[in-house]
Amino acid sequence: MTSPSASSRKTLSKIATNRLQKELMEWQVNPPTGFKHKVTDNLQRWVIEVNGAPGTLYANETFQLQVDFPEHYPMEAPQVIFIPPAPLHPHIYSNGHICLDILYDSWSPAMTVSSVCISILSMLSSSSTKQRPNDDERYVKNCRNGRSPKETRWWFHDDKV
Amino acid sequence: MGNKLGRRRQLVDEKYTRPQGLYQHKDVDHKKLRKLILDSKLAPCYPGDDDCSCDLEECPICFLYYPSLNRSRCCTKGICTECFLQMKTPNSTRPTQCPFCKTLNYAVEYRGVKTKEEKGQEQIEEQRVIEAKIRMRQQEIQDEEDRMLKRQERSSSSRITDPNEAEYFSRAATSSSEGEEIVSAPNVATIRHPPRPRDNRDDEFDLDPENIMLMEAIWLSFQEDGKHQRHNPNYGDAAQLAKYATEVRVLASMAPQPEQPSSSSSSSPSPSGGLACAIAALAERRQIGGGESSTNYHNYTGNTSTYNIMHPEHATSLNTHLQDSHWDNNNNNSNNNNNNSHEQQQQMVESGTRFGYDDGGEYGGHDEMENGYGNVNGGIVPESFEEQMMLAMVVSLAEARARSSSAPEVAWI
Repeated sequence: MTSPSASSRKTLSKIATNRLQKELMEWQVNPPTGFKHKVTDNLQRWVIEVNGAPGTLYANETFQLQVDFPEHYPMEAPQVIFIPPAPLHPHIYSNGHICLDILYDSWSPAMTVSSVCISILSMLSSSSTKQRPNDDERYVKNCRNGRSPKETRWWFHDDKV
Repeated sequence: MGNKLGRRRQLVDEKYTRPQGLYQHKDVDHKKLRKLILDSKLAPCYPGDDDCSCDLEECPICFLYYPSLNRSRCCTKGICTECFLQMKTPNSTRPTQCPFCKTLNYAVEYRGVKTKEEKGQEQIEEQRVIEAKIRMRQQEIQDEEDRMLKRQERSSSSRITDPNEAEYFSRAATSSSEGEEIVSAPNVATIRHPPRPRDNRDDEFDLDPENIMLMEAIWLSFQEDGKHQRHNPNYGDAAQLAKYATEVRVLASMAPQPEQPSSSSSSSPSPSGGLACAIAALAERRQIGGGESSTNYHNYTGNTSTYNIMHPEHATSLNTHLQDSHWDNNNNNSNNNNNNSHEQQQQMVESGTRFGYDDGGEYGGHDEMENGYGNVNGGIVPESFEEQMMLAMVVSLAEARARSSSAPEVAWI
């Protein structure tokens, strides 16, 4: 089986390690507001606590993001999912997969964990309804054997949220 | 000298004409690469440095430091040659997008080591970023104070206010242009918050030196702005003041909301917070006053939300849409000005992660600054340099507080 999650289990390249160490250092000095990196000794998987922004539907709620880095980060996008229970959001599936273009097709190596986190929080903050995507059940069933969201062919059709 | 000639053939050590093994490059035409480097069309493949010693530039992709970088044609962002080779996959059918601004057909050019002017320009840009960041923080604080004031108002009169703040603000924006006073009054009060008594100032020196440096940089750039705005009319006009107050208010509505306002001490308006707001407001005012076109106003609004500043992906429709809907609340010209705010974002994306501090700057421009503030605010801006620095530190304290109270930075109302 060759799934992207398998490739992400490959050890990080030298350049990926170096960059992640620097990103982590920068994060510690200047973390994005609303986020907390949970300290582990695993550079390849970050678990990040997200606090819903006050004044939004997710105020006072806390979620966890899991960020897995592929061997060739940052040339390849990290895999970012919510650890269930994921926030109720029209673009977030109950298995934690997030439909957000910058995590897939629109990833650019100029982005960082921090900038991705901010994008995710603003996606949450701009939501006007707390609901799952229409195809949640079908999608989650399809992913049952631990498929990575990076394998999904996403359609980014909704500009509104 | 060399710059005039442009493409002079530089002596590059043979070993820097091929990749240093940062990546496992596939499909690299080594002959072509060597020629491009020898012709000074691409930066030499110097081994990247881990730390920023002397005068090195950081490649925003691999985060290593180099004596010089290539620049993208579209947005002049730097990239080292080895990272560039990764971006350009020769066998791909799709045109490569610029990793920074998403322009199609990504291409770079090499101009050698940065000139003094380029560096100066960058420093100015970075200062603006810092300025914008602080403004955001100030807006947060001000927003918090405004809410406190509103709450006080609400509790003193039995008037019921619409709990939907966004609506409240946008209504305020439209009504006040006719000179109505409902919202502007508390704002004016905030702007004119009296300075903190001097005897307390010792507490304020217990600050992160980085913060202080930041504040100095901001102060400098305020002064810099002042130089361009000598011809500002004064702001004595009451109608204008009211309008301005509303603008601040509208912006405040874009800033984040405090958590549970009445529950903790963090939400109580602090004197320094008020002063910080005052200073931020003064600076803002000068900006608004200086730019008569709505463009200026737009650029400035674009900076108010963290999201805009830090979102690296200004091309996503997600971003654009959010912005549009926001602009619509305050300004109908939004579409015309989108390009502008985008440019701004673009410029901020990268520099946002780096804080530049111009230690070579001078503290001149003092006179202009006073003129710039006009007679309305004359009472707040101190005359001596020492006092100015005091003010700067107060702002810095306010900023530190804003940070420690973990106020949210992103809130879409």
